Amino acid sequence: MTKFAHVIGVSVMGVLLVTLPAILPAVGLNISLGTTVILFALAASSVNVLLGYTGLMAFGNAAFFGVGAYGSALFIADVNANLIVGLLVGAGCATLAATLIAPFLIRRRGIYFSLLTIAFGQVFYFIAYRWSNVTGGEDGFSMTKPPLLGGSTPVLNGASYYYFCLAIFAVLLYSLWRIMRSPFGLTLKCIAQNEARVRYLGINSDRFIFVALIFSGFVAGVGGALYSVSIAFSYPLLMDWHQSGDFVMMVILGGVGTIWGPVLGAAIYAIAQNVLSSYTPAWQIIIGGMFIFFVLVFPKGLLGLGSTRRRREPEIDTEDPDVAIAPAYEAALLEGRQP
Amino acid sequence: MIEQLAPEIVNGIVLGAFFAIIAIGLSLIMNLTGTINLAHGSFMTLAGYLAFTLMSRGTNFWFALAASAICTAVIGLVVERLLISPLYKRVPLYSLLLTFGLSLVFEEVFRLIWGPSTVPFSAPAELSGATQIGDIVLPTYRLFIMAALVVVMIALLLFLYRTRIGLRLRGAVQDAEMLAALGTNTQLLYMTNFGLGILLAAIAGVLAAGLLGLGPTMGNDLLMPAFITVVIGGMGSLAGSIVGGLMVGLAISITTLYLPAASEVVMYILMAIVLLIRPRGLFGEEGIFG
Repeated sequence: MTKFAHVIGVSVMGVLLVTLPAILPAVGLNISLGTTVILFALAASSVNVLLGYTGLMAFGNAAFFGVGAYGSALFIADVNANLIVGLLVGAGCATLAATLIAPFLIRRRGIYFSLLTIAFGQVFYFIAYRWSNVTGGEDGFSMTKPPLLGGSTPVLNGASYYYFCLAIFAVLLYSLWRIMRSPFGLTLKCIAQNEARVRYLGINSDRFIFVALIFSGFVAGVGGALYSVSIAFSYPLLMDWHQSGDFVMMVILGGVGTIWGPVLGAAIYAIAQNVLSSYTPAWQIIIGGMFIFFVLVFPKGLLGLGSTRRRREPEIDTEDPDVAIAPAYEAALLEGRQP
Repeated sequence: MIEQLAPEIVNGIVLGAFFAIIAIGLSLIMNLTGTINLAHGSFMTLAGYLAFTLMSRGTNFWFALAASAICTAVIGLVVERLLISPLYKRVPLYSLLLTFGLSLVFEEVFRLIWGPSTVPFSAPAELSGATQIGDIVLPTYRLFIMAALVVVMIALLLFLYRTRIGLRLRGAVQDAEMLAALGTNTQLLYMTNFGLGILLAAIAGVLAAGLLGLGPTMGNDLLMPAFITVVIGGMGSLAGSIVGGLMVGLAISITTLYLPAASEVVMYILMAIVLLIRPRGLFGEEGIFG
């Protein structure tokens, strides 16, 4: 994609997201659907950090999303009804959860890594499910929407809450974009292409993956914290592996390893789910069928449709340490090593 | 004390044997093709429902067990050929996601056909009731399940170690390309392997239906402990799956007795401890089954 096309793409997406609260009611949908799209997009982007950039098959990010959701919900209901502080607490809890399980995850790669993310992700589900006197167990945990800064400050609803989420989303997506172009982000991309080579260059890839996991947990946690406030509810299934799978699918639907792919995928998923579930209770068959179809026919997602012939980045995926990563990357990699 | 503990230990062993059988099936598929089969639980549920339907049409339990297991395995083969085999050339993520989509579809189809709640699935009369061993009274069906799963495991061992196909399966895990170069049809091998894994899941599914109740999510509820069993036992190890399964089963049943709220979390603690001591799992090795 040229720089021009990139600017056009960003502007179109930006205009679309800013005007969404006006578009949605016009086509008979609720504004809260827009909020859901944005927050799912955050969760999908957190998966993308691991899956798209670092090449790790992460299948447990719903755990971080759910821990963020419960963290903010419990804090707002039980400690202090303050949206900003609740959000920070939720994101903090998710980051902590990621920090706790990351030491186990960084030891393995490939399908073993997936297996560990599925298994460790599920532990939070069972905690929320079983610790019912705090979390409400299977019935979930309801709360009232908190004022922005506690006390008598305004409570954000509908469109104002949407724009609040959009602002946070924009900041996080921009940071993600910057981080992925920094030496740190380039190192992650190098790990995806040829981890053995990265290690041969004297870089401890485990540490980079550790940080990537924590960053991913933080982004998902922010999404979760905002989500439980938006629906004034949190429930254990938010952390189930099915939810993790949905987040991974959003990344694939849109386009793995791109900034806008997960956003597009989240929009497709959330809108499809919303529209289909109003027509038929068996909407899962259609969603599941859509997943199967995309995996078989469009594995690069919608954004990958145009770029199948002209690849922007060299596609190297090897374990041979003697195969060099693209020279530009390797230079950046070495630069990133310097203090 | 012992009267209280003994039934729980038997429960634990029965559960553990289930986890082991499911884990072996998962492990077989995972090792040969790199596919993490998230639809494994759905195949178990499918087998349970097929057996339920056959039995409600008047066939006896044994016929239903055999017929539904074979039907499910055949459906598994069709799924493998049509949907999963085109993905072998790609990174394992895609087959993982495909089986994920498949499990969503399956679960909803079960709800449409057999309803959202559990259906009454009862063990045959000759297996209901209780058996007394010494002072301890145990449900006959649980003893039967234990025996059945042991027989299945021995049959699997004989198949893997005493037949030519078993030999080729074990060889393909180590170097499928070389095996293909030597003239083995590896696609056929992948198919056999997948069918074998599904067959194990199907047998476990029918047996579990009589024990745990048959609902649309029955198989998926057993899937997570089976994943943990694979991690604890070590990927690619038959012995590991058995030992891991028994450890998880016993841990769950004993915790259920003393601290029911922690009965699921305990297996994660067990997994974390094993991973701290041995990151590749108790019996983990690079190759599969030997």
